Amino acid sequence: MATTKFDIENENQWCPGCGNFSILQAMKKAFIAKALEPKDLFIVSGIGQAGKTPHFMACNMLHGLHGRALPLATGAKIANHRLNILVNSGDGDCYGEGGNHFLAAIRRNIDITLLVHNNRVYGLTKGQASPTTALGRQTEMQNKGTVSSPFNPIATALVTGAGFVAKGFSGNIEQLSGLIVEAMNHKGFSMIDIDQPCVSFNKINTHLWYKERVFDLKETGHDPADYEKALKVAHMGEDKIPTGVIYKAHTLAFHERFDVLKKKPLFDYNFDKTRMDEILTRA
Amino acid sequence: MAKDITILIAGSAGQGIQTIGALLARICHNAGLFIFSTDEFESRIRGGHSFHQLRISTQALGAPSRHIDILVAINEREYEVHKDRLKKNGIVLINTDKEQSADSRVFHLPFDAAAKESGGVIASNTVAAGAILAIIGAEFKEFEAVLKDNFKGKSEDIFKLNLTAAQKGYDMGKAVDFPKYFDFDGKSHHHVVMSGAKAAALGALAADCRFFSFYPMSPGTGIITNVVKYADTLPIVIEQAEDELAAINMAMGASFAGVRSLTSTSGGGFCLMTEGIGLAAMTETPVVIINAQRPGPATGLATRTAQPDLLFTIHSSQDEFPRFVFAPGTVLETFNSVKKAFYLSEKYQVPAIVLMDQFLADSARTESEPFQTGFEHESFLDLETSMSQNKASQNQVSQDQIYLRYKQTDTGISPRRVPCQSEGLVRATGNEHSEEGLSTEDPENRTAMVEKRFKKLPLMKDEIKMPSIFCDGSAFYLTGWGSAKGSIMEACLHLREQGIEVGWIIFEDIWPMDSHKLTKLLENKKLIMVEANVTCQMGNLIRQMTGIDYMSSILKYDGRPIYPEYIIEKVKQIMGK
Ligand SMILES: Cc1ncc(C[n+]2csc(CCOP(=O)(O)OP(=O)(O)O)c2C)c(N)n1
Ligand code: SF4
Repeated sequence: MATTKFDIENENQWCPGCGNFSILQAMKKAFIAKALEPKDLFIVSGIGQAGKTPHFMACNMLHGLHGRALPLATGAKIANHRLNILVNSGDGDCYGEGGNHFLAAIRRNIDITLLVHNNRVYGLTKGQASPTTALGRQTEMQNKGTVSSPFNPIATALVTGAGFVAKGFSGNIEQLSGLIVEAMNHKGFSMIDIDQPCVSFNKINTHLWYKERVFDLKETGHDPADYEKALKVAHMGEDKIPTGVIYKAHTLAFHERFDVLKKKPLFDYNFDKTRMDEILTRA
Repeated sequence: MAKDITILIAGSAGQGIQTIGALLARICHNAGLFIFSTDEFESRIRGGHSFHQLRISTQALGAPSRHIDILVAINEREYEVHKDRLKKNGIVLINTDKEQSADSRVFHLPFDAAAKESGGVIASNTVAAGAILAIIGAEFKEFEAVLKDNFKGKSEDIFKLNLTAAQKGYDMGKAVDFPKYFDFDGKSHHHVVMSGAKAAALGALAADCRFFSFYPMSPGTGIITNVVKYADTLPIVIEQAEDELAAINMAMGASFAGVRSLTSTSGGGFCLMTEGIGLAAMTETPVVIINAQRPGPATGLATRTAQPDLLFTIHSSQDEFPRFVFAPGTVLETFNSVKKAFYLSEKYQVPAIVLMDQFLADSARTESEPFQTGFEHESFLDLETSMSQNKASQNQVSQDQIYLRYKQTDTGISPRRVPCQSEGLVRATGNEHSEEGLSTEDPENRTAMVEKRFKKLPLMKDEIKMPSIFCDGSAFYLTGWGSAKGSIMEACLHLREQGIEVGWIIFEDIWPMDSHKLTKLLENKKLIMVEANVTCQMGNLIRQMTGIDYMSSILKYDGRPIYPEYIIEKVKQIMGK
């Protein structure tokens, strides 16, 4: 791998062959394409293998709690909407523990980019079923097979009103980095659900399994402005897995809806002691 | 002699009894009288029993009184509910058009009928307020002036309707036989009538808090509600989070990015925030949390008051870490504690929690002292200065490439920077980490980092105000914390008038506790703990920290405030009098 300014000397903790390496590479590629410096990036992450991502890259980082990366990122963006904020989360982290925050972040249309490393399994806690594990799939814990049907993040994002919904695959770095650039350029909440093999705990949804199924929506003439078609894509099932931008529409981002934030970020204001004294004397 | 009366206005939720109280409070305040008002209501929007209690005095007040001089029953049935609290020479006004009662203390006054005659039953509250004002000796013109101001900008018809209603009520009151009570000729020389919730809101704003996240839960919500009206003129954002987990994490995210932030909640919501408090501690991110306590466990009594979360709050979250906990007892203390929480949370990069409760948050009282943006504490920098210093340090360090977020220092406090403002990268994690902020499981590093966080503790202890002691050398001391303060003080003064040698010890800053200093202070003192919880949490904490056992305790856990009369009665029982 070519060296980049985002490389960092820190021992990587992922299993060799894990899809996370490719996601990391795609991120760096995207940042270079966007001519960003490490100091321009603020990456917030949850807990899990995906949550470790910013540790392996030069950037500002806040590695928070399991499931709570989105509220942390939301608070930071409200404080200073000039920051470029990305979130690395896992399928368990984002759709399980943090499910409520996923819905709320979409509804707020907070201008951040969410990357969900979807390996259809809980990696860090050793292979239990996750919200995206197929119904009936056996794990060590769910030894008779899971009894809940899987969560559909794309369909959920669409019906909740997300303005940028895309699907990526760790096996296609070129496409994924392009999607990350596009997601970051989108004003408002953007998410990419990224199919990622877990070599240690998911022996079914392997790199090869995905490779045989993925196709690029661009090649089918899919129009990301068409909501009805996007919904159909979201419900295509497992035999063919669409990748690329599924839906894109612009509505005002969270910070564009507040008069105080239209002027400048909260962070940039100065404390107005005179005004405060006035408030206190008139209280 | 001080003149001091208590008026209780009882009715159902939705009948606007608080409106009557607010009118009376304002007129009394304008005339230079002191007030203390409390609201007690059920967790419902309509119906049930609720009441507004207004104590008015010519002297400063720190607590409500249990004994009622004027009971105003907006529903007839409320008379039965509250009559036991009526003083011997107290009177009762019942909203009814029934014939006069045989009891010379009970007056049947047709508030509703008079309002209808004036043009709408909606003005029934105004009739009641008029009657009460006449009884306590206010001039009608004072009432008229306040009404005019209240209805400013509303239609002339509505004002007229209320004015007519007010006059009818006033005339009714004139006919009631009650000694003219107060002189309303005075001028207000006191600063303000304010609730604890509003004082907390102002404290946060005065500390340059710019982001408020919350999930609605009584009585924590009232604090944020009080911020809303400033959102048009100050640079602030208020965001209703999807739950308390989000509320604390959003506040922390904003703080991490360089904006002071507050989240406010009550017991159950605070439970949900505890994992986040651990993250604030581990990432050394300042954050201020207000826990306005209510009785639990679980939903408990949603709209009532208690002090049951003391030990939970000082220990909340995983593992061990230093934090600040404050428990203000008055409105001014609330304002100052919240400001101080912001200042110290930022100075030490630790979470700071302010413990309030429903009683403190919702009751309103006259505050004579002005509220100020600066700090009373000399060693505290003005917040404005500290904020600009913070920004300056971000610029200063922009040259050095490598920034150590968790740099080891003598104080344990590492220079703080916010992300994306300089070349050096800000890297933080809730995992145990190295000085660079990268997660590592190295045992030596772990030990060093735990010790780094705890190096702050002795310095933090020095920031803590010792409990206030009144009448050192007394035979025993009523000892308490937080909102019980006013009642303890009043009970103590009352008992002393009766020749009982009692003092008080009141905690305002709670945690971290300096066991050495506290032991010295409490040595050989006999303590009677006064707390609104069942296990005597502060008493046990004192014993744990100093080895000093309390002599006796007065505990109340019925969900209602501790009244001075209750303490007096219990002290006499303890003394066998
Ligand atoms: C509150 C809390 N509950 C549980 C855990 C344990 N935990 C750590 S990672 C994880 C699941 C991770 O799965 P996923 O989000 O899919 O990420 P992956 O490791 O597969 O990338 C869990 C349950 C935790 N850290 N915190
Ligand atoms: S457990 Fe799975 S997801 Fe985690 S690092 Fe290993 S391969 Fe990757």
